[in-house]
Amino acid sequence: MYRLVAVVISSAIAISACSSSPESAPTQGSDSPVQVVRMITHESFVLSPSFVSDLRDRGIDLQITSTGDAGTLTASAILAAGVPTADLLFGVDNTLAIRATGEGVFESYTSPEMVNVLPEFNQDTQGGYLTPIDFGDVCINVDDGWFKQNAAAIPTTLEQLPKIANLLVVEDPATSSPGLAFLLATVARFGAEWPAYWEALRVGGVAVAGSWTDAYYSQFTLSGGDRPLVVSYATSPAAEVVFAEDATVTEPTTSVLTDSCYRQVEYAGVLAGAENPSGARIVIDALLSRKVQEDIPLNMFVYPVRSDATLPDVFAAFTPIIQTSTSLPPEQVDEELSSLLDTWGTVMNR
Amino acid sequence: MLAQHLPRGLKWLWVFPAILFLMFLIYPIIKLAVTAWSTEMLNEFTDSTVWRVALLASGQAVLSVALSLLIGIPIARVLFNYHFRGRGIILALVTVPFVLPTVVVALGFRSLFGDVVPNGLLLVVLAHAYINIAVIVRLVGAQWSTLDPRMEVTAATLGANPFRVFTSITLPALRNSIVLAASVVFIFSFSSLGIVVVLGDGSSTRTLEQVLLRSTSVLLDFPAAFAAAILQLVVVSLVFVISARMSRNEPRAKVVLGRKQISGRKSMWSVRLTCLVAMIVVISPIASILWASISSSGGITLQWWSELASTSNTRIGSPIAALGRSLGLALGTAVLAAVLGGAIAIAVMSKKGFVVSLALIPLGISAVTLGLGILLAFSRGPLDLRGTGALIPITHALIAVPIVVAVATPSLRNVDPRRYFVALTLGAAPMRAWWTAFGTVFGGVMLAAGGLAAAVSLGEFGAATLLSRTDSPTVPIQIARLLSKPGESAFATAAVLSVILMFITMTLLLIVDKIASRKVFT
Amino acid sequence: MTGLILQVNDLMIGYEEALTPALNFSVGPGEILVVVGDSGCGKSTLLSTLAGVNPPLSGEILLGGKSLSGVPIHKRNIGLVFQEPLLFPHLSLIDNIGYALRSSGESHSAARIRATELLDWVGLSEIAGQKTWQLSGGQAGRIALARAIAAKPNVLLLDEPYSALDPGTRLRLLADVKNLVTREGIPTIHVTHDRSEAELLATRTLTW
Repeated sequence: MYRLVAVVISSAIAISACSSSPESAPTQGSDSPVQVVRMITHESFVLSPSFVSDLRDRGIDLQITSTGDAGTLTASAILAAGVPTADLLFGVDNTLAIRATGEGVFESYTSPEMVNVLPEFNQDTQGGYLTPIDFGDVCINVDDGWFKQNAAAIPTTLEQLPKIANLLVVEDPATSSPGLAFLLATVARFGAEWPAYWEALRVGGVAVAGSWTDAYYSQFTLSGGDRPLVVSYATSPAAEVVFAEDATVTEPTTSVLTDSCYRQVEYAGVLAGAENPSGARIVIDALLSRKVQEDIPLNMFVYPVRSDATLPDVFAAFTPIIQTSTSLPPEQVDEELSSLLDTWGTVMNR
Repeated sequence: MLAQHLPRGLKWLWVFPAILFLMFLIYPIIKLAVTAWSTEMLNEFTDSTVWRVALLASGQAVLSVALSLLIGIPIARVLFNYHFRGRGIILALVTVPFVLPTVVVALGFRSLFGDVVPNGLLLVVLAHAYINIAVIVRLVGAQWSTLDPRMEVTAATLGANPFRVFTSITLPALRNSIVLAASVVFIFSFSSLGIVVVLGDGSSTRTLEQVLLRSTSVLLDFPAAFAAAILQLVVVSLVFVISARMSRNEPRAKVVLGRKQISGRKSMWSVRLTCLVAMIVVISPIASILWASISSSGGITLQWWSELASTSNTRIGSPIAALGRSLGLALGTAVLAAVLGGAIAIAVMSKKGFVVSLALIPLGISAVTLGLGILLAFSRGPLDLRGTGALIPITHALIAVPIVVAVATPSLRNVDPRRYFVALTLGAAPMRAWWTAFGTVFGGVMLAAGGLAAAVSLGEFGAATLLSRTDSPTVPIQIARLLSKPGESAFATAAVLSVILMFITMTLLLIVDKIASRKVFT
Repeated sequence: MTGLILQVNDLMIGYEEALTPALNFSVGPGEILVVVGDSGCGKSTLLSTLAGVNPPLSGEILLGGKSLSGVPIHKRNIGLVFQEPLLFPHLSLIDNIGYALRSSGESHSAARIRATELLDWVGLSEIAGQKTWQLSGGQAGRIALARAIAAKPNVLLLDEPYSALDPGTRLRLLADVKNLVTREGIPTIHVTHDRSEAELLATRTLTW
């Protein structure tokens, strides 16, 4: 009976092991010894399979694990600071980075590829610990078709929103990352007056959704809801074209309210205490390589930081990089986040 | 009393689940607590927020329990008292909401009620009741099918009208299973996350789990997260203590095998009506998902289905590969949970009650807490299991085991130990005699455990998202990924995957129910 | 003493097909009709048809000249005692006996008084505080009998009662039953496979 149990358990583990990592079979062929590099990232990380296979050709077996969303990822890295669960981390963003670097999660590294990074990011290393990889903007998306149909004027500034707040759905900043970014955008714009702005939005009838998925897929008019303004990403109009049902759709029916955008930057870093820090550095360099940088937009719908990376046509045509994005200093976000959320909850009666 | 009757070879088998629980449940949590510990944590309990949230969530959970009992008990009555064609399908159908990824259920509810019921307490309670119908139906039904119907006939001949028979005889006889099912539903609703995020209003529907998520993943405020996690564990333990005290320990009525045939036009109509209502209640929230999988802005289409296998979806990973992976994980989970369930069954028989209590702990621990703990405990040194792919099936088995224990314990308590002695006197060796006497029940429990665990594993998202490899997502993770992208095909592909998941789950439950009912009842 | 007569005309019983020939009999006050037959011949089905659990296939059942067709179980006032006592485990002995009185709308205290009398009558007043599952088979059987007659049923139906008990206890209980129904004048139908039992009890016997 004991033997039976042992056999059963080991076969269970074997079955699931095989099924959970069919792609990780070590490659023969390459002569150099294979070194394992482990990367932790968030659940939205996607790149083409060539990212891993190219590294494998260079003798690196990259094992990628995801740990929830960007916040949970950062939390787990902080908990494991000094005795990390991997060699590098990709996906910490500019609102959380300062906490992680302050807790000693990362060791310093400056990639030689940084010289190819856009000037606005090539000094943005969060104290030398992190390497910027991509950036994106959270913006209000507009269902242009709805406004045309109802012969209504499309808003162009944040100040116009309270009057038409009953057309807007935002996400709860306490549970949604774009929701938080939009709150920070209003703080950056209105400073200490931001609660009054939200008060006006609330009185005007703004809807608050718990998650981006609910806001975009249930409440946005494009998906059959009743609100033609939604807090989403600057690249969402391009994604609408890429993921359209009809291949002949070549133009988005949504646009971006450029005045409402908040900039998010994603970084990678070598984890302090990593077992294979040199391998981790190679992977960071690879993330900044032109090939991977050009692979980023259509997979994660964010922009590459590399200056010579060519944007895909659909991005170039419909989602030009927003030049008017705001962002708050990381120190301010770190210091005020908790009280911002509390005040927001009070203002919104939540 | 069965303790003395166990063959020597089985006496120590309870050690196995105990070790597994200590290793993969208690150790990771202690590890997490030690890592995150700071004296600030104690100060958090003086903050009134966590207490207020705990109180609000309790109220919400009580309402959810009441509504799910109201819906679940009539369905349990029909499914476990009558025998009719289609019974198995309805039983499988009511179980589907329980194992669907919550984000799918939540979106279904939004599209069904979105225009009528605003986000808030009512919508959250409705969704919780919906998800938990299966808990009530299966737990209460299991006890109901063992009740002697002549007890109710006797009461009726003594002048009690059907309502009085139900309230004064049937309900008290079902008390233990109702108390257990109600506590399980309470705990699920109390610690709900996905539903309250999408369907809640952010104030009256808050849960400690939501506080925990906000503290860990938005504020990185570990003391606050710690306070929420501890308070949640305390409430959950309290619920189990209370429910244990509320259960009666009277000897069980004799088991009556077989179910009533439908007799008489009147009872047939009540059965049909209940089945019809049950099907409408179960199907309508997920009907919008079915619809989304075959419709597009241009009308009805099978395009999403035909594109499933094509390479155009590589951007989010191949759905077919994800299905294969999810099925593989489910199989691994099933085998593990069957072994665990069997070992716990023996623990129940040998009165090692603490193993059962251990088995119920996962109910009170959030996927985030457990996932982070396991991550910290098993990613370095000699216990490095990350690369092996074993962590997800182990975690899923731990998550599924409380349900398995709850379902299996009643049928194990009904086993007549004298059968073992009869087999011994007929000259069988102890192990063989034991198997002859209890093998069928035991096999049924293991099978049911494996099947339920596989179903739970297929739909589980929270732990999988913390532990899975990025290049090999499970189906629920892929659904969530698709749902976090704009674009018609992303949403429709998520719908197609959800429909496939529902279908596989239902088929699985049908098969397991069929085999289990043969094993246990013949 | 109510003294109604139970009359059965051309009664066919069964589920899909008939288990018995057409039955014709009547049972008057104080009479005990013993139905004798092997197991599976439809004896128990006859009792459950009379009690209203199953509808008859055809024929009619009259109580005091009025048809019972369409009258639900709980309005027939027919006492039914099964092979096992089937006491309600969550109720005290007194509440078990008083159950029928409470069903018919009597106050709690009135039901208690009557139940206490009956407990005394079956000779078990000294164990009133015990739980149902602490009783011996004979004691439980007596409680079940007391419970069945507490609300003075029009008819008493006994489905092989006490057959799980030892012969001595069973015979003593059956003698009690006989005294009781004769004294109270309750028409009684008793079902058994034991012919000697039939001889002991029966005013008349019925076999098919």
